[in-house]
Amino acid sequence: MKTFLLGFLAAIVILPLSAAAFLRLGFADVNGDADPPVWEKRFMYTAVHRAIARREGGSVETPATTDERLVAGGKLYLNGCAGCHGELRKPFEEDRSLYPRAPQLPHIGTQYTEPQIYWIVKHGIRMTAMSAYGRFYSEQELWSIAAFIHQIRSLPLGVRERILAKSVNAAP
Amino acid sequence: MKRFIAGFLTGAAFLVLLVVLIAQLGLVDVCADAAIPSWFATWFSASVHRSVARQASSVSPLAPATDADVSAGGKLYLNDCVGCHGEPGKPQSDFGATFYPPAPQLATAGTTYTEAQIYWVAKQGIRRTGMGAQAGSYSDEKLRQLAAFIYRMRTLPPDILKEIQAKPEPPQKAEPQK
Repeated sequence: MKTFLLGFLAAIVILPLSAAAFLRLGFADVNGDADPPVWEKRFMYTAVHRAIARREGGSVETPATTDERLVAGGKLYLNGCAGCHGELRKPFEEDRSLYPRAPQLPHIGTQYTEPQIYWIVKHGIRMTAMSAYGRFYSEQELWSIAAFIHQIRSLPLGVRERILAKSVNAAP
Repeated sequence: MKRFIAGFLTGAAFLVLLVVLIAQLGLVDVCADAAIPSWFATWFSASVHRSVARQASSVSPLAPATDADVSAGGKLYLNDCVGCHGEPGKPQSDFGATFYPPAPQLATAGTTYTEAQIYWVAKQGIRRTGMGAQAGSYSDEKLRQLAAFIYRMRTLPPDILKEIQAKPEPPQKAEPQK
């Protein structure tokens, strides 16, 4: 029993240390243009989704969604998010720059709830290119962005056109 | 010895299970707007530097940078990199600070990477950070100029820096705005 415990302890001490040393000595590739392996994508995706569900399980009251808020959120999206997460008008093109990949929201949508999207935009996601935007947007703006992204693939009739029309006028 | 190995394997299985459980139950804190522990920042940065040194050793030697290269690279930097990495002579980037880990402030803190390593980082990006691979946006030649500027940014004579900063926008981008 004593030898067994000794082996157990040895594993618990040696393995994490070797993992840390392996990384510290630069043996893990760091290039961002590689495609993440499927197991890693799945593992990290679940880990992040569950962590956010735990933090933001629906305790916050979501403001009522109106077309005006969707249009406002869509405009903010085009200005601040579309660069990484995809333009509304362009065909699907997988992100080949960031690791993990930035989800192309206009094409794949999202499984997060509205309060969860609000939380992510505000606080960001660690160890990804999703930074925390809490200090750059007002609470109202954050909720508008969340409302828009939540419905990005099922926008009410006319909203998409209003968002795009406004952005065209604002550009020149 | 057999018992020791059995114990070791049990310990290994225990660790794997622990990691899977912690991650898959959502117990990992993912918010990016928390202060990064300094031990983690140090360890992460050192690990990335080592890996970049290993991976970037395959970069064939870059053509020596001319003054024109540095100046061209400076214009590229002012257009696309300052948002996160900071502009020379200006306060640090607020936006760069909102990443986890935060974007290194090249204008104020500089970098310990060599020119070839900077070229490699800009081209390939860094995993698990906000640093995207720029190979799709820039030619190798432009990346070389960018690296030439970033490498020398903090030691450039003030007049050359001023000249670069004088017209940060390329003409074709500035024209239709007006």
